[in-house]
Amino acid sequence: MMPAGSPRVRLEAVDVGYTYSGQTPTRALEGLNLSVGDREFVALLGPVGCGKTTLLRMFAGFLSPTQGSVLCDGARIDDPSSDKGYVLQENAIFPWMTVRENVEFGLLAKGVEPASRRAVSDELIRLLGLAAFAEAYPKELSSGMSKMVEVVRVLATDPSILLLDEPFGALDAQTRAMMQDELARLWEQRRKTVVFVTHDADEAIYLADRIAVLSPRPGRVTANFPVELPRPRSLETRFSAAFSALKRQVWEAIGQSVASNAPKPSPSSSH
Amino acid sequence: MMQMSPAPWTRLRRALVAIGTLAVLYGIAAQIGQKWLPHRIWMDVHYIDDVELLPTYRSLGEELVFLLQSGILPSSIAVSTGRILIGFFLGACAGILLGVATGRSRRIEDLAEPWVTFLRFTPALALLPLYVVWFGYGEPSKVLLIATNVAVVTLLGAHQGVRGVPRVYLDAAASLGADDRLAFKKIVLPAALPQIFASLRIALGLAWVTIVVAELIDAKMPSLGYLLALAGAYPRVPTMVIGIATVGLLVLAFDLLALFLHARATRWMKRTA
Repeated sequence: MMPAGSPRVRLEAVDVGYTYSGQTPTRALEGLNLSVGDREFVALLGPVGCGKTTLLRMFAGFLSPTQGSVLCDGARIDDPSSDKGYVLQENAIFPWMTVRENVEFGLLAKGVEPASRRAVSDELIRLLGLAAFAEAYPKELSSGMSKMVEVVRVLATDPSILLLDEPFGALDAQTRAMMQDELARLWEQRRKTVVFVTHDADEAIYLADRIAVLSPRPGRVTANFPVELPRPRSLETRFSAAFSALKRQVWEAIGQSVASNAPKPSPSSSH
Repeated sequence: MMQMSPAPWTRLRRALVAIGTLAVLYGIAAQIGQKWLPHRIWMDVHYIDDVELLPTYRSLGEELVFLLQSGILPSSIAVSTGRILIGFFLGACAGILLGVATGRSRRIEDLAEPWVTFLRFTPALALLPLYVVWFGYGEPSKVLLIATNVAVVTLLGAHQGVRGVPRVYLDAAASLGADDRLAFKKIVLPAALPQIFASLRIALGLAWVTIVVAELIDAKMPSLGYLLALAGAYPRVPTMVIGIATVGLLVLAFDLLALFLHARATRWMKRTA
């Protein structure tokens, strides 16, 4: 699965299953295995409703698997904590706080002195080019920028792991590409272990070191693709032959994974 | 975008235009009514003469000068406003504290819920006799009556505000390392604030309804309710009109103040109007 000589494993999902209880219990995940190496950028790619968010919420400490186990550095994940920065799929920027207060929130929770908080927020806000908006409320930001503020808000406490749940899912294609560049730039500056959930193959290829393809519900990892495109990635990357070739492979894998989990498997589907 | 004219100023301007228009129409109606409306009316047992059903501005002006010079109106305003402020303060504090408590804890909610429903639909005046027996004829029964009404409304506002804090904010705060205390202070309270302020505004209006009626029933000392009760006993229509207008203007002024504070406290919200 992982390239030879890969660094130590940070996050691991072992034979994970999750069933949402209710009138009609829903199996979101079943027999899912995934491991994420140190400073590796892994994209979880799968169709809507395949349990990607469920898995990410387990890594974040908000859900426990109903089967199997989810580990961080070999230990079971029980609670959310600030060493795993989690950016939710929904807009979760605190609208009653200024951009700066948002960015400093994690440091405030840690009891960091105001002066040091300010130093960190100054740097991160400058990194986003939002210095002019530091004291503004999020309502003055575009939705793309407010998502990026959520990303750096998580970076402020310098977590070693980043969990990003379709952060750019609600953006238009142009803004999305711009935000992907921002994120790639941020990640190249401060390498973290990243799990990035998306249903967009282009986005996964552009950002990740490895793509894990998830099947439709109940989700499990059906294929892994290392992305060996050079960094820093740029517009050239998006239009390179290697990119297109990988995209084709990924799409084929998605097709197979959909077929393999379809209620009535077609006779031609093979493994 | 220009953010220079916050909603309260727009509202004030609109209120002034609306009141001005009504005042002009009233003036015209009163002038016409002077000629055509009856000046002698039958009240239960006898006729009353020289009644102005729609007092003209002239008689209103004379009455206003009298009420001001005699000190009746200023002292009435002071007494009634004082009761409102004390009762509102007590009720708002109790209501917000209780509402936050019921919003945070299901168990407290279960305990409080029937009482809230009970008080919510019980007219304030139904409680007045009981309060008079319990707390006497003086200030406490009136102030506490207002406090009760205010508390019920703000309790509901604070409860819904706290209960309605979107899950995503709490999750985001938790994953950023916030403990319950910090999350309460920095997430729950600010997120609930718009609802709390909205309920305070409603409660303030309700407080005026309560106090004037309470003072009407138990008409003592200078107070706006007393002034109206007295005007009804004579009957003196100009006094009534001035009394009603005074209450109305005070309600409007307090409402604008509440709206202004609400706008200040929720500057961060997106506004579409």
